[in-house]
Amino acid sequence: MLKAIPDLEGILTKTIDRRAILRALIVLLVAAGAVTAMSLLGSASAAAATSEVAAIAAPADAAAAATSIAPTEAEPVETTSASTGSNRVVQTLVNGIVFGLLLALASVGVSLIYGTTGLSNFAHGEQVTLGALLTYFFTTQQEVSLPLIPVSFSIGWPLIPSALVAIALAAGTGWIQDKFLWSPLRRRKVTIVQQMIVSIGLSLAMLNFIQWWFGAQRVRLTIISDERIDMGLFDIGQITLISVVISLLCIAGVGYFLLRTRLGRATRAVSDNPALASASGIRVDGVVRLVWVMATGLAAVGGILLALYDSGTAFDVGARLLLLMFAAVTLGGLGQAFGALVGSLVVGISVEMSTLWIGTDLKYAVALGILILVLLLRPQGILGRAERVG
Amino acid sequence: MEILFDALAEVFAPTTAAFALAAIGLNFHFGLTGLLNMGVAGFMLVGMYGYAITTQAGAPIWLAILTCCAAAAAFGVILGWPTLKLRGDYLAIATISAAELIRYLGRSQTLQPLTGGSTGIRGNEFKFTFEALSPFPDENITILAWTYHGSLSSSWWLRVVAWAVVALVAFLFWQLSRSPWGRVLKGVREDEDAVRSLGKNVYSYKMQALVIGGVICGLGGVLWSLGNSVQPDSMGRPTTFWIWTLLLLGGAATVFGPILGSILFWVSLVLVRQIASTVIPDTWLSPIELEPFSLVLVGVTLMCLVIFRPQGILGNKRELALNG
Repeated sequence: MLKAIPDLEGILTKTIDRRAILRALIVLLVAAGAVTAMSLLGSASAAAATSEVAAIAAPADAAAAATSIAPTEAEPVETTSASTGSNRVVQTLVNGIVFGLLLALASVGVSLIYGTTGLSNFAHGEQVTLGALLTYFFTTQQEVSLPLIPVSFSIGWPLIPSALVAIALAAGTGWIQDKFLWSPLRRRKVTIVQQMIVSIGLSLAMLNFIQWWFGAQRVRLTIISDERIDMGLFDIGQITLISVVISLLCIAGVGYFLLRTRLGRATRAVSDNPALASASGIRVDGVVRLVWVMATGLAAVGGILLALYDSGTAFDVGARLLLLMFAAVTLGGLGQAFGALVGSLVVGISVEMSTLWIGTDLKYAVALGILILVLLLRPQGILGRAERVG
Repeated sequence: MEILFDALAEVFAPTTAAFALAAIGLNFHFGLTGLLNMGVAGFMLVGMYGYAITTQAGAPIWLAILTCCAAAAAFGVILGWPTLKLRGDYLAIATISAAELIRYLGRSQTLQPLTGGSTGIRGNEFKFTFEALSPFPDENITILAWTYHGSLSSSWWLRVVAWAVVALVAFLFWQLSRSPWGRVLKGVREDEDAVRSLGKNVYSYKMQALVIGGVICGLGGVLWSLGNSVQPDSMGRPTTFWIWTLLLLGGAATVFGPILGSILFWVSLVLVRQIASTVIPDTWLSPIELEPFSLVLVGVTLMCLVIFRPQGILGNKRELALNG
């Protein structure tokens, strides 16, 4: 029945072959090496900012383009005097890896949806926020209410059951969205560009709906403080450690699903060639529905873990992360599920490590700079096949 | 009655004109050439920074406007150079990121001496050259039911200039879109490969459209800042999405679409807010919830428009098929 599958297996292993992974590792090592070298030199001069951007742009010698994003009058806001240099570098590296892993949960969804339907989903950021704030809705001791209903009540469940219910509800929104919005649009042969603008409208509506529901203030999911565990060169919070484990488990689960299960093979078949997949007896609509549920569920998990990591969440957290997700997905190669993981790690590490030299208010700007550089130099991403796009 | 006058005031408000101008710029990108520019707010922000910073440095108004145009054009070239060869959604992602990048840079602490950080540049620091040109008396003037100052800030003078600029640019759009140059752009929108096979340099045509539209967006940003102030956070992604909504509402690729869309958008936004605040009791919808509530409606409008009537009010369905 699934004759196309062996070939697909070949294509997939070819695309994530050792060379590509090696390339990604080299990018990481060069970036990390440059960053360490810079910190050892201990130069806190304005020049640091420019060379740092070049270091992140390591996919190729992009120093020329670096000027477009490097602030000309950069003055490091934080100085390295507080702690010893190497400690701080390792600490930010660890923070970066943690942030990257949590970001990966959200980006994998963007990538899966793009792979199977071709849609760049601009409303994915709101799914991240939704997961976090639904958890808050169930777990908080404060009074909560629903929009338009003038009754307030408090639920106050423990954190874990609330999180599970929130994830289930968020995944449910994915099912509803696909059932009542995206699948009819696909059936009506609405073009991808139109669908993309629809997703922008949806993102605008959801963002403001969430603000209407929960208000604009920052809220905390739990009052438990994150106990720091000293690991020698760096320390890491207990909750953060658990979050990292959960994130790794989820990602491993997605990997197992895609590579080892029948349904996962069907998903990859759909993302490679929907018409052929449909002709070989795969229910494309069912697969896409499943991808939407998975993507929104993973986004909710990511949102909850990020809210715990940042010890707080607000209605616009996801919107701010959306472009980081796009950066990660583009960096890894649009539509490549594993590319999203690699891209997220690169984005996470460079975002966190950039705070060594430039102000924290500019750290997200670094990721956007990387995104533009990637589009300039290697639009198919690190793991993407070299082909003409466009 | 008061609600009606408030809503009608939006018809000729400077903000409406600024958004109409930016939408005409976007019309060059999307309506004529089919480019998915999701960074309209970025072009506007670059334009207003160019204008305000030059004025602060003591330059005359013509130099400030020239700087604004140059900055927006340079932004367009830098963005278009890598992305115009790629598929449409790459341009969308690149422009939206670049616009956010400009906003982050503008509000960062490091550039505060130049851009004023997250508070931006206050009106009295850059509006004086424009206000000095006003021929109107220096006092409040009432025409029919509306009272505004003659020449300061959101004034009659600004209204007159803003709508004159909009009219001029709309005329320019009309002339350009029916010139041979405009026909090539429409060809690029419909079928890039066909145009390429006729020996036209598609990349160069796209770049020209991006730069011209970008400069117009930049001028729209200057008009906006003259009515308000230079504020990086009010030029975030929502602004871009509003401009898309009003362009698609009025009808892309038409001359009057952006203007009609902008007027309808702002009038109905004010109407919805006012009517909702009088009709729906406070316990259901408190005043602070009114803003998000009306913006939910904007989002839903955008979705419905794209699905059910992609050509907008004035557009021609056969001419404009959204494909990319």
